[in-house]
Amino acid sequence: MSEKRKYKKRYCKYCEAKVDFMDYKDVANIRFSLSERYKIMPRRLTGNCKRHQDMISTVIKRARAAALVPYTVTRKQVVTAPFENLK
Amino acid sequence: MRKYENLVIVKPTLTAEEIQASINAIEEVITSNGGEIAARDTMGMRKLAYPIEKNERGYYHVVYYSVAPAAIAEIERRFRINEDLLRFVTIKYDTNREVAAWNGLVEKANKAPEAPKAEEAPAEEAEATTEAAAE
Ligand SMILES: [Zn+2]
Repeated sequence: MSEKRKYKKRYCKYCEAKVDFMDYKDVANIRFSLSERYKIMPRRLTGNCKRHQDMISTVIKRARAAALVPYTVTRKQVVTAPFENLK
Repeated sequence: MRKYENLVIVKPTLTAEEIQASINAIEEVITSNGGEIAARDTMGMRKLAYPIEKNERGYYHVVYYSVAPAAIAEIERRFRINEDLLRFVTIKYDTNREVAAWNGLVEKANKAPEAPKAEEAPAEEAEATTEAAAE
């Protein structure tokens, strides 16, 4: 529930910041669109527009390949370190 | 000539000199294939998001360069043979918007050559707290 409420107000955060290009090395910026299990958050929850969601998904996939962001997180890791190593 | 970016992760088991030699060899591969290096960004030793070949950490180095598109296959082939590398990621900057972003990144990397050192220390602290929490 709390997670749903967090994203209730729907507008594209990246449009507001006028983001034209995302750098996959800038992990702090893409954290917003990742769930606590490091899945890509759906657009219906984050409110991202289609254009920025497409950008975010390529950027996240690049960051995963570069071992900057994990592909999956086990149950043990998810409890102890939600976003710690990304801050 | 097209704009590219290469991120390489060097094995953490090497000594500092070996890492430096390995990075020089990587840049030599790019230049010998007709590439012009515009900027480099040393991110330093970082914790990997997941272990690669049983290594928990890796030395990150980013090179921004422009080269003829045909040379990329050879550069990647050479990287794949290189046993010092855990991983490499090649990014192509093709559209006008991407090229503008590439110019911005190069400018940023050239403007702050001392920055990585300052960033390195707090990042390691954050990792230390994570490890402590895990225990
Ligand atoms: Zn948008």
